[in-house]
Amino acid sequence: MDLTVLAKGIMMGFGMLGPAIGIGLIGSSFMNAVGRNPEAAKYFGQVFVIIAIVELMALLVFASLFII
Amino acid sequence: MFTDMMTLTKFVATENGPPIHIIPGELFHIGGFAITNSMLYGAICSLLILVLLITVARRMTVKPKRGFFQLVEIGTDFIINTIENSMGSREKAVRYAPFFASAFFFVLFSNWLGLLPGVGEAIKYSGHPVFRPFTADLNGTLAASTIMIIMVQYFTIRESGFKGYIRHYFAGSLKNPATYLLGLFEMFSELTRIGSLALRLFLNVAIGEIIIAIFAYLGSFAAPITALPFVVLELFVGALQAYIFTMLTIMYLTAAIKHDHGSAESVSAMTGEATTA
Repeated sequence: MDLTVLAKGIMMGFGMLGPAIGIGLIGSSFMNAVGRNPEAAKYFGQVFVIIAIVELMALLVFASLFII
Repeated sequence: MFTDMMTLTKFVATENGPPIHIIPGELFHIGGFAITNSMLYGAICSLLILVLLITVARRMTVKPKRGFFQLVEIGTDFIINTIENSMGSREKAVRYAPFFASAFFFVLFSNWLGLLPGVGEAIKYSGHPVFRPFTADLNGTLAASTIMIIMVQYFTIRESGFKGYIRHYFAGSLKNPATYLLGLFEMFSELTRIGSLALRLFLNVAIGEIIIAIFAYLGSFAAPITALPFVVLELFVGALQAYIFTMLTIMYLTAAIKHDHGSAESVSAMTGEATTA
């Protein structure tokens, strides 16, 4: 049995966990902020910048799929 | 049932898997140096951008024009506003705008020109595709981010002098040994910034290419329909990554000039932007 496939599956599963939680937290705190203060909605562009910083980890995992 | 599925996949997908490349292919050698496809396309794109932007700059008028002129004008204005919001002065923004605007347009057009139909597997030479987006090559983005960080150091030295530049790293009391340790960490963080900027841009573009290749492969004869949503997504991602690449460099420069100590990737630089906006 080819264990590489299993390794890739485990890596995708655990590696995507962190960034997924991170992006969820960013979105939830943005919605919280907008709910408290609707004027904060103008910082939507900043949300994308922070998401891009978090997303790097997820992309590293995805790129590793094709290297191992 | 399973064998039926297998025959179906064989019927639909004709090749052996989608073409996935993480490293660029070598096309030919000039005096021992390998010329890769992304180097070739990067040079072509740079020439194209140079010609286009110089033409636009020559023909720029006070009265706004339509079409491509407007795109360049919006982009430049956007970059000037971003720098102004970050640094808090219009004069500094206009001074640094040429460098950051050209970096922004280079990354933007490299990303977008990489989505043209001829780029990729369509045209091949010696087993490798002839064209590959410049930003889908780690060497290319590493070179770009190294230049950005070196220019940030240069601007900081010009802005606050060599002594101020060193004091930016070794802030606080000079009798405290922790100052030196933290200073070394700050210096090391410049290197990690090079890596993170390069990796972010490279991975976004390269993975976009991979996803388009996978969905074009899955679609087989309907490839234009299945791949189109991801091409549109990549248009958005390309613009976003160009913005983030420039934005983060502007934030590094702002943090280096302002002498407030904290990682530029933290939210402190952004809240500084928020208060001045």
